[in-house]
Amino acid sequence: MAENRDDTAEQPYTIRLVGIREGASQEKLIAGLQRLFKRKSAEEIGLALSRIPLVLSRSARKDQGDKIKAFIESVGGVIELTETSPVHEQPEIERPEGVEQAQPTIEREEPPWKKIRPPLPGERRTKPRVHSGIQLQPMGIGELLDRSFRLIREYFWLFFIIILIPQGIYFLMAKGVQIFLGGMEGSEFNIAMGVGFGVSTFFALVVFIILQFWAQGALIHAVSETYLGHGTSVGRSYGAMRRLLGRLLGTLFLWGLGVILVPGLTGIFLAILIPLLSAIGVGNITIGVFVFFVIVFAVWAFFRLFLNWLLVDKIVVIERKGWVKALKRSTELMKGRTEPGFWKSNKMKAGLILLLGFLIAAAIQLIFQVPAMIFGIILKGNIVILTILEILNIVGNTLATAFTATAMILYYYDIRLRKEGFDLKMMAENL
Amino acid sequence: MGTSKEVLTIETPEYVGFQYVLAGLGSRATAFLLDTAIRLLFILVVFIVIILLSQWLPFLEPSGVLAGLSKNWIMAFGVIAYGFIDLGYFLFFEALWNGQTPGKRQQRLRVIRTDGAPIGWLGSAIRNILRAVDILGGVYPIGFVVMFMSHNSQRIGDYAAGTLVIVEKSGGVPKERTVPQDRQSEHREDIEANISTLSPKQYQVLRSFLQRREAMDQDHRQQLARLLAQRLLEIWEVSYKLDISYESFLEKVVESYEKIRRAL
Repeated sequence: MAENRDDTAEQPYTIRLVGIREGASQEKLIAGLQRLFKRKSAEEIGLALSRIPLVLSRSARKDQGDKIKAFIESVGGVIELTETSPVHEQPEIERPEGVEQAQPTIEREEPPWKKIRPPLPGERRTKPRVHSGIQLQPMGIGELLDRSFRLIREYFWLFFIIILIPQGIYFLMAKGVQIFLGGMEGSEFNIAMGVGFGVSTFFALVVFIILQFWAQGALIHAVSETYLGHGTSVGRSYGAMRRLLGRLLGTLFLWGLGVILVPGLTGIFLAILIPLLSAIGVGNITIGVFVFFVIVFAVWAFFRLFLNWLLVDKIVVIERKGWVKALKRSTELMKGRTEPGFWKSNKMKAGLILLLGFLIAAAIQLIFQVPAMIFGIILKGNIVILTILEILNIVGNTLATAFTATAMILYYYDIRLRKEGFDLKMMAENL
Repeated sequence: MGTSKEVLTIETPEYVGFQYVLAGLGSRATAFLLDTAIRLLFILVVFIVIILLSQWLPFLEPSGVLAGLSKNWIMAFGVIAYGFIDLGYFLFFEALWNGQTPGKRQQRLRVIRTDGAPIGWLGSAIRNILRAVDILGGVYPIGFVVMFMSHNSQRIGDYAAGTLVIVEKSGGVPKERTVPQDRQSEHREDIEANISTLSPKQYQVLRSFLQRREAMDQDHRQQLARLLAQRLLEIWEVSYKLDISYESFLEKVVESYEKIRRAL
């Protein structure tokens, strides 16, 4: 077969971005360039654009160059395509009409974004950015649980280690105390030792709670990043939470207070009212009916608040809103329905996901707990076996927590996809 | 980079590839729980019928032949009926409903053979008899572990029967959009002149917006409509103010595109 090759196709071409068309949107140009330089963030490209002319490539083929030229010019850039000369001589650039005044040209040996700092973890998350290879779409309950399962399978060690860290530390601390107390057998117990033990247990508990919330935040960060198509690590996930830990703890404390306040106040209310009603001679049946309705109301109020504020931890970590703002934002997201049907209201869907997630998590836990129980009964008193079984128990708990937590994080994104269409906004910017 | 779904391609001997989305643990567990609820309902009905029969049989059958049946016999019938429902429910539904049970149908799942063919009686029998191994202890411990390890999310029953559970494509007509009032607008000419430049990807974005807008918050909906309309006008290099709402403009664009596609 005759070879029919164009010699010019082999000649390398230099593609330069020499300007921005008058009236063109810089955002659109940045989005366009991001499609070419997938590893560069919008911030990096934005900074680089302030230093045009930029060399985009020195070794493009003619057809590639033409394609890139057409594409970049369709998003508002002005491209100059020249043959790459062996010596870096700077050709005279004739600027088309309507092109912004470019800075004096300085050829750079390395692309400008290499000199720019990478974005801080928070800068990326305030407005979720989806990796170009990832397609997001609203999901049904089954699909959402499927996606959680797949995500856990894909990033098993990442999620597992994040949750395991506080559980492991707690386990080691408990074992340490056990060994310490075992060593004290036979020695006399005095008040000072009791106080010391109590104080250290209290501090250990506080440390455990803080670590637990830290891990919760780190997991939200990790699931969020991986779901949106970015990479992360255990260290980066914990690191991203360092500055947010105080806000997360405070918001979750507020959340707990609000949710627990309802049954607490109901209990106090009933404790005062029942003797009063009896004292004024109200019949037992009437009091019983009254108490029933108050309890039904309290349960309803508890679940309503619980479901309204279900997304606060995700909001703190992903949107960086804290305290009352996070509670309000969660209520706003959980309000109403995004699909027709009684079972499709946001709160009902969240309830169903929690229920199904709980059942699946219980099954996962049982996988580890049942053998642990059986071996525990058979090999009573064998400390090594018992320790292994305790570890298995922790593994079961860790996996179960990872599954439910992942499902709820994906649900948060699902609501935002449905109510705010953030995937469509990003696609619109790249239209 | 991972996609949001696990897709399996089955190639026919004619080298035609069929793509299937594999069902994961979540949708399968949801379908199973629905089926369990239905089975429990069946079992409850059967037991109520048996209890009623044991009470009324002497009155319904005066000859006294059946009246002689002891309560143990009636209970034995009950146990057989339970076993029949417990095992038969999945077996019969999957074989007769082309790989679906009511729970699977609700979740849009279907059991197929690994070569893409429909599941038969034998396949259904094998995968459902082996369910007893997967479900050991009532919580699918083995099933979970095997599915977690499996590339195609198969449990032991699936491996033995050579089956897969897939998610069916929604073959129905796409959700109806609100059809715009056909108001004459000066933009119609511009739209028709530029519609051929609209790429399928751009059309998909506009269509997704129109399909999903009802569920969106008002602010976000308006913001997105404005953004999409402005982007289109920029691409078409049309620079004037619209005399219709952004959403109506987008509706007209999509309508025109679909008209052209139909004509082609």
